[in-house]
Amino acid sequence: MILQALYDYYQRKAADPDGGMPPEGFQWQEIPFLIVINHEGRFVAIEDTREGEGRKRRGKQFLVPAAEKKSVNIKANLLWGNVEYALGANPRGRNDIKERHADFRRRLTSEIAGHPDRESLELFLDSNPVVQIEQSGREQERWREVLETNSNVLFKVDGAGNSSIAESLSSQIRRQETVSEDRICLVSGRKAGISRIHPSIKGVRDAQSSGAALISFNLAAFQSYQKEQNFNSPISESAAFAYTTALNLLLKSSGNKVQVGDATTVFWASKEAAFEGKFSWLWNAPPKDDPDRGIKAIESLLRSPHTGVNPSEIDTRFFVLGLSPNAARVSVRFWYAGTISEISSRIRQHFFDLEIVRPKHDRGNYAMFFLLADIAMENKIENVPPNLAGDVMRSILAGSPYPATLLQQTIRRIRAQQSKQEVKRTQAAILKACLNRQQRFQSDPSEKEIQVALDSVNTNTGYRLGRLFALLEKIQEESSPGINSTIRDRYFGSASANPVVAFPILNRLSKHHLAKLENRGRAVNMDRLAQEIVDGLGADNPFPPTLNLADQGRFFVGYYHQRQALFTKSEKPRQSQTQGAAP
Amino acid sequence: MTYKEKSFCLEVRGDFACFTRPEMKVERVSYDVITPSAARAIFTAIFWKPAIRWNIRKIEVLNPIRWISVRRNEVGAVASDRAGSGILIEEARQQRAGLLLRDVAYRLHAEMEFIPPPKRPKVRNAVPDGLMSPEERAEWGKDENPGKYHAMFERRASKGQCFNQPYLGCREFGCAFRLISEKDLKAESGIPSLRESRDLGFMLYDLDYENESDPKPAFFRAQMENGVIVVPRWESEEVRK
Repeated sequence: MILQALYDYYQRKAADPDGGMPPEGFQWQEIPFLIVINHEGRFVAIEDTREGEGRKRRGKQFLVPAAEKKSVNIKANLLWGNVEYALGANPRGRNDIKERHADFRRRLTSEIAGHPDRESLELFLDSNPVVQIEQSGREQERWREVLETNSNVLFKVDGAGNSSIAESLSSQIRRQETVSEDRICLVSGRKAGISRIHPSIKGVRDAQSSGAALISFNLAAFQSYQKEQNFNSPISESAAFAYTTALNLLLKSSGNKVQVGDATTVFWASKEAAFEGKFSWLWNAPPKDDPDRGIKAIESLLRSPHTGVNPSEIDTRFFVLGLSPNAARVSVRFWYAGTISEISSRIRQHFFDLEIVRPKHDRGNYAMFFLLADIAMENKIENVPPNLAGDVMRSILAGSPYPATLLQQTIRRIRAQQSKQEVKRTQAAILKACLNRQQRFQSDPSEKEIQVALDSVNTNTGYRLGRLFALLEKIQEESSPGINSTIRDRYFGSASANPVVAFPILNRLSKHHLAKLENRGRAVNMDRLAQEIVDGLGADNPFPPTLNLADQGRFFVGYYHQRQALFTKSEKPRQSQTQGAAP
Repeated sequence: MTYKEKSFCLEVRGDFACFTRPEMKVERVSYDVITPSAARAIFTAIFWKPAIRWNIRKIEVLNPIRWISVRRNEVGAVASDRAGSGILIEEARQQRAGLLLRDVAYRLHAEMEFIPPPKRPKVRNAVPDGLMSPEERAEWGKDENPGKYHAMFERRASKGQCFNQPYLGCREFGCAFRLISEKDLKAESGIPSLRESRDLGFMLYDLDYENESDPKPAFFRAQMENGVIVVPRWESEEVRK
């Protein structure tokens, strides 16, 4: 399915002239220097194709024959390569330069049919190219740079305008006879020559930089039925080229790629779709120059009548593939295929679940990046457990409950940060979403769904105790203004986990705090509110010995809701203590 | 009279399953549903003799398709048959990730094909003369009929007997099985199949063991209609060999 989808993507893009997809046997390669020769095979100049400033200078992209897969063997590319292969220079002091250059030279003659450009190049290469360049007296600085970086070079015949020799000779390349057996290809279902090794995948974060393989059987333990290497999974040469090229293109373009935890995730649609462009903003942090972009994308998804999707795109298939590195291999962390309408409605559900009341100054970013960063140690995204991000992504796309680790991790983080910071909006949002989704999935009517803002009729013990805690903390803050450490520093953990231990002490303390409040009217109101909350707790067991994890989550959400309500300024001062609406 | 092969139905359930795709065999990715080859292995684990062949006809998916991703420590070397030289994990450790299915349940319908004695593969280690009395040898092989094997399977499957624990794709994912009698099938009292229709792409059908030193894979285009996958016959054109 995965390969089939990538194969189809390649076909779609290859048919589109602006698609940027190289035809079979070719690839786009960044080549910083062009060696210019004239028709007689004499060296003319070195062209520098790099654009950009300083560090970010990148050479232009050229369409060249596809690179050969090299590890420790000597194999020259056709028509282009680094100076060791192409010119026979020896910047790194290797002792097999002769063989490398000879291979390059041999390929030039044997694999390209006759053409004046080919002959010019042959003349040049046969007459000591390195010596020619060095003795020409020109371009010495550039030559030194080329040597130092051992950069890739391509050739150009003087007077050919902007086209390199690869372009002019591309039609002359003789198709190689593939020495492989005809088997059924499992992508196309037809009999074709099976390739033994597939081109590499580049662009997966933390994988080998020289390219990793999605399909590889590099050790004896991985082979089956006495088949070697990629004969274990028969895929024809053209299908192999198609899927690797498609995947490499997706990994290169930032519009189709997103980093979810340790998994580099690519996504694409089976047809042209505007949704493809919006998808990344649902996960990524927005760019610094346009911080509202993520929010706008989410809002358009939530507010539009038809799940924010163009009616023509509703049935288009959309694919999400998460790849995670494993040394020289790439493993599939998750794979999702569905229609755009399904996915957008599930994403919409995800954001509805996360919706929670927030203070006026808070922008309301709910991109995955922020959610995960806020539950990680030191708020650094690298400290998130590796599987968690992938699992959350999968549960969002499948519409299933979030992984249990998400709830636990959030509660752990809230406890760990108790003295430094109160419960953050993102954390409360995650708790609310986790609990509501779990309940919905299990069709559990026993508990009421957690609302967006303060819910004064919710009778869940954990929720009410959280509210009570927030109220008691506010009483303390008002009675001793400017206090540094409130009851939250000392009692947050025990109040949420073992209420019967903490709350009697807190109740006693609050009586003293209330007595210290100068504004007697306020003191009376606060006391009344506290009584109201306590009245809602079960009469026989108002302070249970322990709260289970789900109820602890409700505790923190209740705390957050009440805090937000207490700090909301309303027009009528009377109402600010009892109910607060989201601004 | 045309002989129609008897069809049996097994309901299998397991916590995990991995019907590995051939192309993602190292970092395992499972197919969405059970392959005919894995289904055959479950029937074979319960009962098989050279006299019969199992042909899978229909697969019903009962549980929604759910995934789980795990990473396991495995080895990168192949153990040799020589006794004594094992594999040291410190030298051969390979971490392999896997994208597995979880909470799977299927109803598998298969036909038992009876192979008449002349067509069976040659017996390589026949019982020597000394161990069989002449009377026994005279009667030997005379009561070969398909009903014998049908009964054997039914007895074993209803008792829960098997040669080895049936597994879902990989041996570490064992499964529980239950024989569904024809009566129950007709009454349709079991769990209904998934209300989903999908094109599952090319799936591995099975391997062709004609040439034992070079098994060849065969593929077919799997279509799931309301949770039911009809598996084409081995000889048909739909199975690309």
